[in-house]
Amino acid sequence: MTRPADAAGASYAGGIAMTGVTVRYRGTVALDAFCLEVAAGSIMALIGPSGCGKTTALRAVAGFVRPDAGRIAIAGRDVTGLPPAARDIGMVVQSYALFPHMSVVENVAFGLRARGQPGPAVRARVAECLALVGMDGFADRLPRQLSGGQQQRVAIARALAIRPQVLLLDEPLSALDAPIRRAMLDELAALHRDLPGLTVLYVTHDQGEALTLASRIAILCGGRKLAEGPSQALYRRPPNRFAAEFLGQANLLEVAVEGRVLGGMATVRLGDTRLKVPDADIAGARALLCLRPHDITLADASAACSAACNLLPAELRMVHWQGERHLLELCVAGQTLRVSLPPLRMPPAPGTSLALRFAPDDATLLPHEPG
Amino acid sequence: MLLWSAAARSTAWTVLGLLLLLVYGVPLGLILLASLTGQWNGVLPSHMTLSHLAGTLRAEPAAQLRASVLTGLAASLAALAFGTWAALALRRVRGGARRWLELVFFLPSALPSISVGLGLLVAFSRPPLLLNGTVWIVLAAHFVMVSAFAYGMVAAGLAQLPAELEQIAESLGAGPLYRLRRITLPLLAPQLLAAFSLGFALSMGELGATVMVYPPSWVTLPVGIFGLSDRGAVFDAAALTVLLAAGTVAVLAGAARLQRLAGGK
Amino acid sequence: MSAARLVWLPPLAISAVLVLYPLALVLATPLAAPGGFAVLGSSLFLGALVRTVWIALCSTAGCLVLGFTLAVLIGFVPFRGAALAARLVDSIIALPTFLVALAFTFVYGAAGLLNGTLLALSEAGPHALPPVDFLYSQWGVVLAEVTVYTPFVLRPLLAAFAQLEPAQIEIAGSLGARPWRIVRRIVLPAALPALLAGGSLCLLLTVNEFGIVFFIGAKGVITLPLLVYDKAIQEFDYPAACAIAGVNLALSLALFATYRALLRIGTRGSGGRG
Repeated sequence: MTRPADAAGASYAGGIAMTGVTVRYRGTVALDAFCLEVAAGSIMALIGPSGCGKTTALRAVAGFVRPDAGRIAIAGRDVTGLPPAARDIGMVVQSYALFPHMSVVENVAFGLRARGQPGPAVRARVAECLALVGMDGFADRLPRQLSGGQQQRVAIARALAIRPQVLLLDEPLSALDAPIRRAMLDELAALHRDLPGLTVLYVTHDQGEALTLASRIAILCGGRKLAEGPSQALYRRPPNRFAAEFLGQANLLEVAVEGRVLGGMATVRLGDTRLKVPDADIAGARALLCLRPHDITLADASAACSAACNLLPAELRMVHWQGERHLLELCVAGQTLRVSLPPLRMPPAPGTSLALRFAPDDATLLPHEPG
Repeated sequence: MLLWSAAARSTAWTVLGLLLLLVYGVPLGLILLASLTGQWNGVLPSHMTLSHLAGTLRAEPAAQLRASVLTGLAASLAALAFGTWAALALRRVRGGARRWLELVFFLPSALPSISVGLGLLVAFSRPPLLLNGTVWIVLAAHFVMVSAFAYGMVAAGLAQLPAELEQIAESLGAGPLYRLRRITLPLLAPQLLAAFSLGFALSMGELGATVMVYPPSWVTLPVGIFGLSDRGAVFDAAALTVLLAAGTVAVLAGAARLQRLAGGK
Repeated sequence: MSAARLVWLPPLAISAVLVLYPLALVLATPLAAPGGFAVLGSSLFLGALVRTVWIALCSTAGCLVLGFTLAVLIGFVPFRGAALAARLVDSIIALPTFLVALAFTFVYGAAGLLNGTLLALSEAGPHALPPVDFLYSQWGVVLAEVTVYTPFVLRPLLAAFAQLEPAQIEIAGSLGARPWRIVRRIVLPAALPALLAGGSLCLLLTVNEFGIVFFIGAKGVITLPLLVYDKAIQEFDYPAACAIAGVNLALSLALFATYRALLRIGTRGSGGRG
C-alpha cells in the first residue's frame, strides 16, 4: 500500500516536557513529581502495571486531568492551564470513542468543523487523512459497521485531521485480537514514517508493543518513573530489578562482587564459579546478575573457559517443550535459572549436569534488592 | 430452565396463563366490552352498541380530550426541557450539593398527587402569583407530576454515555454548546423521546392533582370520566377510558417504534 | 466561567417555586390557623391513617407475591411470547390507575360479571348464592392496587433474573435440587434486593394512591389522600386538609428515603463499574 505523504507534515514539530507533575485523586497520589521529555518527532512509550500512573500522565498532557503541581509544555509552550482544545493534541483511546451517530467522514471532519473551517478545506483534509490510514473506501459507513481495526484507523484519522503537534495513544491496541494487533503495530510504525515530525506518546501495558514501536521507553510504577531510556538500551541494560522483569523474561541471580578489573569489567562469584561481567556502579558486596533466558547457550562440558565467555555449571531440573523453543529449568548454586533454546533434537534428561555459556556483555549487574 | 419435565412445564404455563387472564385479561376485556354495551342485566351484556364510543365525539368529551392532549403536550415538553437542563447541569456539580439537588429534582415522584394539587392551590390562590382558576395551575400541576420522571430518565441516559466521547470532542476543539448540539443531545435522543412519551402518557391519566386545581373551563379527560362514572353513566365512562388508554398506548408504541427506526436496525 | 458554574440554578428555581414553596405552605398553613392541628386528633383522621397504612401493607404484600410468581414463571420457564407478556404487563404502568378501578366495577360490581353469574346460578340451582360485595370494602381497593402496582415489582425482578447466570440453576438442578428448593435457595436470594426496592416503591405508591379509592368510592373506605380531598374541596377547610396532607407527606418522604436507600444497597450488591 502506498501512502500519500502528508502535505502538512512540516507543521508537526513539537515535543512534550513534563516537569514535576503531581496528580492526586481523593488523597491517593496517581502521579508523583513526574518528569518526562519527549523529543519532537519521536515515539515515547509509557509502560507499567495497571494503576502505575501511565494513563494519568497521558491525560494530564491531554488536559483532562489538572495537575496539582508541576508544569506541562508542548512545543515549548506552557499548556498547564489550557483546555484540551488549545493544546494541539490528537487523542486515541482504547475504546476508540468514535461518535456512534456519525459516519466515518463526519467523525474525521468533526474537529475541523468544530473549529469552523470552510467546507472545501474540510473535505480535502478528511480525504487526505482517510487515505493516510487506508480507510478511503469506508467514508459513509457508521462506526458499528466497521471492524475493531477499522474503527481504530478512523480514530487515528480523526485525531490527525486537526494537524496536532502531538498524538496521544492510550492503549490503542488492547481491544484488538492478537493477529490484528500485530498488523496494526506495523501500520502505526509506517504511519510514523509518513509523518516523521509527529510526536507520539504511547501508553501501553504490553512491553512487546513498546519495544516494537517506541524509540524511548519510560517505565512507571506507583506514580513514579522507575526507568527511562532508548528501547534497546533499556532492554539490554535495565537499571533495576523492576525494569528488568517488566521488559521481558529475566533471570536474576544473587552474586557476590569480588573486585573490579580493568576495561570496565567486574568479577562476581556465584557459588564456586567466578564470572566476568560489565561493571556497574553498585554499593556493597552483593548484587543481582541479570541474564535474559535466550542469551544463554549450552556449552560442551569439556570446553575451556576463554576470555570471551563465561561458563556456568548447572544441574537440569526440568525441560518444557514450547513448540518453537525448549525452555530449560536449571539449578545453579541453589538458585533457579531458566534458559530458552532453539528446539533440541535430544533434550538432556533431568538430573544431568550441564555447562552453560554466556557472553559477558549479555549480563548486567543490578543493585541487590529482594524480589 | 427450572422445570425439565414436559408435564411440569405445561402446568407452569397453565398457571401463568390463568393468572394473567384473571388479573389483567378479564378486567381489561370487560372494560372494552362495557364500552360497547347497550344493556347489561345478566351475566354478559344483552346487546352491543357503538353509541358510547361514538358518543366520545360529542362536544363535551371532545373538549375534554382536547384539554388533556394540550395539557399533556405542554406539561411533558416543559418537563422534558426541565429534566434535560437539570440532568446536564448536575453533571458539573459534585459532592453534597449534588445529592441535595438530585433529591429536589426527584422529590415530586414521591409526593401524593393530592398534596401536590393542594400545595399549588394554597400557594397560587394568594399574591404574588394568582393562578387559581386558570389553565396555568393545571399545567403547573401536570408539570410537577411528570418532571421527576423526565429528569430521572434523562439522568439515567446521561450516566450511560461514555465520558470519553465528550472528552474526545473537547480535545478536537468543540466548545460546550457545539458538543451539546452535535454529541450529547443526539446520543440522548432515545431517552429524550422516551421521557417525552412517558410524560405525555402520565399526564393524560393524571387525576389526583387535577381534581384539586382544575377550573370549570379546563376539564381534563380523567376528570370527565369520573364525572360520568359518578353519575352512573358507566358505559360512557368505559368508552372514554378505552379511548384514553388506546391513545396512550398508541403514543408509547409510536415513540418506541420511532426509536427503533432511529436505531437503524 | 462563574455563569457556567451556576447552570443548575434555573431548574432549582423552578423546583423552588412549583414544589418547595407549595410544600412549605402546606406545612405552614395549619400552624397559622388557630387549632389547625385539631383534626389530627379526630377519629376520622386516625381511622384514615390506620386504613391507609393497612391497605398499603396488604397491597404491597400482594404485589410481592404476585410479582414474584409471575417473574419466576416468565423468567425461568421460558416460552415464546414471554417478552411480549412482560411488555404488556409493563405497559400497565403508563395507564391511569382508575382504569382498573372502573374495570373492576364490571367484574366484581353489583351488576358485574361475577354477581351476574352468581345470580344466574341461584335462579337455576337449588341454593341461593349470596351476592359478593367485596369491591366496596377495602379489599376491593387492595385487589385493584395489586393489579396496578405489580408491574413495579415484576420489572426489577425480571431485570435481576436476567443477570442471574443460567448455569447456576442448571448446575443446581444437575446436583439434584428440586425446583422449589432452587427457587428458595438460589432465585429468592438473588431477587431479594429487587424485592426490597420494588416493595418499598409499592408501599410509597399505594400510600399515595388516590384514583382507585376515588373511583371505587366505597362509603367506609377513606384514606389519607381522599380525606385531604374531602376537607379541601368539599368542606373548604384548608388548615385541616394541610395538616392531614402534612402527615401524608411525612409518611411518603420516609418511604421515599427507604426506597432510595434500598436501591443504593441493591446496586452496590450487584457490583458497579470499577
